[in-house]
Amino acid sequence: MEAQTDEKLMEAVAHGNLDMLRILFERHHVHVYNFLYKMSGDKMLSEDITQEVFYKIMKYRTSYKNGKFISWLFTIARNSLNTHYSRVKEHCSDLETVQVLEKEKEDFTHLHSALEKLESSDREVLILNRFQEIKYNELAEIMGSTPGAVKTKVSRALKKLKRIYFENI
Amino acid sequence: MKQFTFILLLCLATGTALAQNDYTKSLEGIEWVRIESKADITVRTHSKNELLIKVGSSVATPDRAKGLKLVGEGGTDNTDVGFYVVQDGNNLIVKSLRKSEDAEIFLPATQNFSVKSTWHGDIEIEGFTSEIEANAQLNGGIVIREVTGPITANALNGEIEVQFKTVKQDSPISIYTTNGEVDVSLPQGTPADLFLSSLNGEIYTNFDLKRPDKDGLKSISTRRVTGSINNGGVSIKLKSTNGNIYLRKK
Amino acid sequence: MDENHIVALLPDYLDDALGQEERAQLEGHLATCAACAKELEEMKVLFEAFGQEKGATPPERIKTNFYKLLELEKQADAKVIPLNTPATEKRNWTKDLLRVAASIVLLLGAFLFGQQQQQTQSNKEIALLQDERQEIKETAMLSLMENKSASKRIQGVNYIEEFTDPDEAIVLALIDRMRYDANTNVRLTAVDALGRFTASENVKNAFIAALKTEKDPSIQITIIQVLVKIQEKKAVKPMQELLEREDTQPFIKEQIKTLLPSIV
Repeated sequence: MEAQTDEKLMEAVAHGNLDMLRILFERHHVHVYNFLYKMSGDKMLSEDITQEVFYKIMKYRTSYKNGKFISWLFTIARNSLNTHYSRVKEHCSDLETVQVLEKEKEDFTHLHSALEKLESSDREVLILNRFQEIKYNELAEIMGSTPGAVKTKVSRALKKLKRIYFENI
Repeated sequence: MKQFTFILLLCLATGTALAQNDYTKSLEGIEWVRIESKADITVRTHSKNELLIKVGSSVATPDRAKGLKLVGEGGTDNTDVGFYVVQDGNNLIVKSLRKSEDAEIFLPATQNFSVKSTWHGDIEIEGFTSEIEANAQLNGGIVIREVTGPITANALNGEIEVQFKTVKQDSPISIYTTNGEVDVSLPQGTPADLFLSSLNGEIYTNFDLKRPDKDGLKSISTRRVTGSINNGGVSIKLKSTNGNIYLRKK
Repeated sequence: MDENHIVALLPDYLDDALGQEERAQLEGHLATCAACAKELEEMKVLFEAFGQEKGATPPERIKTNFYKLLELEKQADAKVIPLNTPATEKRNWTKDLLRVAASIVLLLGAFLFGQQQQQTQSNKEIALLQDERQEIKETAMLSLMENKSASKRIQGVNYIEEFTDPDEAIVLALIDRMRYDANTNVRLTAVDALGRFTASENVKNAFIAALKTEKDPSIQITIIQVLVKIQEKKAVKPMQELLEREDTQPFIKEQIKTLLPSIV
């Protein structure tokens, strides 16, 4: 059972076999959580949104259309995070949130701190590509772009990151 | 056998004849009863979980109408008492088809319902602990007594009088009129946040309203009064455009 | 090979993802170009850093929580909660989407707040409104506004007071209430609520449009007052039309005659 592809499993979930979602959850929730954590630096938020992402997958299961599961998964994760940010930006100039972030930042590795200094779109492709090992094809699906363009974006982002990384070492 | 069939038919015929002025229907699985009428409607409680419609004994179907069905706006009489009753999901639609005949409707005290009068019918309601929506769309008035809310009531030209036995705290009460007066009585100890407003009418109350200070000044506008009683609670909005507002301690 | 091109190939080179030919070419170039070799060394260090970066471990409760949600969903699968809409109401896809979103938050919220399943839907919605997160508040509010009970819908509309700068989706939902709700009190409450957001073009336009179509005099008068207060010039013409119309109540005509000159 474990050897089933993500796509086969998700197809089963879409047809009502909700238990298969456990396997998908086991396989991927750590990745989703880490993507969110690297993006936001906020553990509580990452926890909430990870939960939200899998919840959406469960609820929208019938809208799954046999694409790459991983692309779908991270598209949802990315949208959920963006929605959260746009809401926060619009409504809260909340000092408290900022302070929490500053505190967590002390524990960041040098790489993580360097990533923090990138623009969020650069940071995002690198996190997805380098940490989550998402290939250009899927990354293109997630970003709504082409594999070639994504590849260029990754390579440029790496170059920027490298400069920041070695500047501050 | 033939004779038996005949007796059976006779029994059935007698049965319907007796039920001429009454109609009942089970309320099993019904969340809301939606009543609509052009004529006066009175809604009271009874202890059975069913809808009971009683029409005035004076209802006389003209001789010429024998064998014909009463047809009104939006439906045909399927009850033999001049009403059209149909279940729609977990709503029960109850429409009075006659334009002038008054009717009494009985429901269990916990049944949620709405009553709408579309012409000059008055609405009278008494004794419910459920949620009630009443709307007198043209000339009718509304009287609601011995209830707990939530109440949502609206009248155009008629007045609305509501007497609360107690006031449930779970969701807002709103009583609005355009030209008629609003007259509401609450038990003295009711916790509530009040909002009273009348554009062209006056506002009267014997409650001591704790009104929020604005820059240290009490609001002195006579068009609208807001404030809480008994440390605040459920939202109660009484509003009229041209009528007076009366809020009384009971 | 130009250097930019070389640099672009380095990640794939390190990932061992180059074809044989490209790889040979690259290695050939690296042997002769010190700058690119340095570039490669740095990239290697960076990649090692990526490799060494430890992933954060999510707390175990994400899993237990999600599995509970999954169980709830399995039960709910058999018993779908109907989300009520009056048959006469106009529906569109955004609204349906919002409804779906709201029901998700509701179920999620039902669990997060440890609510019993037996509790009524609206109680869950109200509990959600006490949650801090804006998004949840908004969806819960949207959902309350779809409740069967007029009183609950009014409660939903009243929650607008919780927002200083609501999402346009919320404003549009309120406009929807003003236009289509079956209950006049809900419509009037929505008009009152919208009066605070006349900065929104949608609200202004909806008010101006309503002057032409609205039949309830209490709603007409409220809208007229708001539009006069914000000095909306586009309201002058529909107000003059109201003066001409036979079915306009006399007190509304009076009000318009008094207020019209104050829009300069």
